[in-house]
Amino acid sequence: MSSPGSPTQAALPVKAIALRDVAVTFETDAGLFTACQDVSLDIEAGSFVVLIGPSGCGKSTLLRVIADLLPCAMGQAEVNGAPPEAARKARAVSFVFQDSTLLPWRSVVDNINLPLQVGRWNALGRKQRPVAELLDLVRMSGREAAMPHELSGGMRQRVAIARALVTQPDILLMDEPFAALDEITRESLNEEVLRIWRETGTTVVFVTHSLDEAAYLGERVVVMAANPGRIADIVDLRAAKPDNRIDRGSQAFFEITTGLRRVLEKAYRGEIAA
Amino acid sequence: MSTLKPMPRKRNLAWLWPLAGGLSLLLLWSGIIVIGEVRPFIAPAPWDVAVEIWKNRLLLVQNFWPTLLEAVAGFICGNLAAISAAVIFVHFQRVQKMYLPIAVLFNTIPVIALAPILILIFGINITPKIIIASLVCFFPTLVNMIRGLEAYTRSEMELMRVMSASRIEIFLRLRLPRSLPYLFSALRISCTSCVIGAIVGEWIGSTMGIGSLIIQATFNYRSGLLYAAICMSSALALTLFAAVIASEKKFLRW
Repeated sequence: MSSPGSPTQAALPVKAIALRDVAVTFETDAGLFTACQDVSLDIEAGSFVVLIGPSGCGKSTLLRVIADLLPCAMGQAEVNGAPPEAARKARAVSFVFQDSTLLPWRSVVDNINLPLQVGRWNALGRKQRPVAELLDLVRMSGREAAMPHELSGGMRQRVAIARALVTQPDILLMDEPFAALDEITRESLNEEVLRIWRETGTTVVFVTHSLDEAAYLGERVVVMAANPGRIADIVDLRAAKPDNRIDRGSQAFFEITTGLRRVLEKAYRGEIAA
Repeated sequence: MSTLKPMPRKRNLAWLWPLAGGLSLLLLWSGIIVIGEVRPFIAPAPWDVAVEIWKNRLLLVQNFWPTLLEAVAGFICGNLAAISAAVIFVHFQRVQKMYLPIAVLFNTIPVIALAPILILIFGINITPKIIIASLVCFFPTLVNMIRGLEAYTRSEMELMRVMSASRIEIFLRLRLPRSLPYLFSALRISCTSCVIGAIVGEWIGSTMGIGSLIIQATFNYRSGLLYAAICMSSALALTLFAAVIASEKKFLRW
């Protein structure tokens, strides 16, 4: 270990998120339900991690632990080296939901500005990302006055992403953001997300049901199993996808998807990698 | 290059249908009176009512204002009380558990039975009428407002919490705007029922207002005046309804 302040420390990859033996339980009428258990996962700052697995594997639950929306029943979660609550209060984390959750009575611009109007943003003294820049980033320039009901599902998600980025968060959590969209729109938004990730350097944790989406987006793909939710395997795609770029039509992409499919099928059967 | 000519906009004549329906019923009414040779003090013909309205226009207007004042004051007080109670209830679940069942119980008491009690306590003046009108408004708004303040989606609330929004911020930026459609559907109900409340209050004890005019006209067999007073109360309720619809259009553009 190097001493604090030594030059080598800066070179070490910074952990944006560290989960240690995390378990999350819910009280239900049928008794205690374990959403996930024994989850240990390190996510480096600036990386793109995808969580995939059958429903009930606790992938959305993990996002909510990181976002401080759910407490750990056991184990420990750290975000930016501190408890998730501190990261949330410092507004270091943004969340994009499956439904865009744009407030229907607010225009595009007012929706994007919402995070700056709550949660003691002004007292934090942090810098926002200019809205004009954000609209440009998500390719929604010229639509700032539009109301959410005038936009397509894909456009609404673009605005939701812009809203998530207005606070310049360190970590962007995305919970099946494109699950309700058609295939073509989803693929183009996948490209946009990668472009935004490269431009902003934000750590992205992305939950999906789609194998194709996981293979295309992730530097690492965390494959989860259900009952109880746990990590089945972690597939590292960094060697197979130099610079995290890949052509969806290529042989390499086909091989990645096939490999990932095999791991996922095992997870569905409940087999856990040693 | 051919230019597209805009289609001539069809004029919206949908309002003609209810008008035709109303006219047909007036015709039926007149027919029954004429064919059945109904005597005017039992039931007047439509034209008798029209004549009576014109003849008594000063009397009607005189009695219109007190009822309007009671109804509007009751509408404002009752709804403000209901909105405040709903805001407290959704933020303090224990208070809701304690007092919402009592509000439900209280609502089962017919307002006509409450009116004499209020007259006994407050006397024959404007206060008991305003209280009755407010009571009539209170319950529908309370129930709708509670539902409206809880009408956010799970992810909307999660969004607010990820942004570390305070309770007040969640209330102002999420719950309150979400509740407005529910509030307005309650206001549509209570703006007409507050008129009923005011009139019921006037029946029990009053010398002014549409309610007392109805009682006087009935006892004096002036059925033309009675029908004119009824038209007046309906016009009052319609005016308030139109005002609510107009403000709904202004506030609920989404």
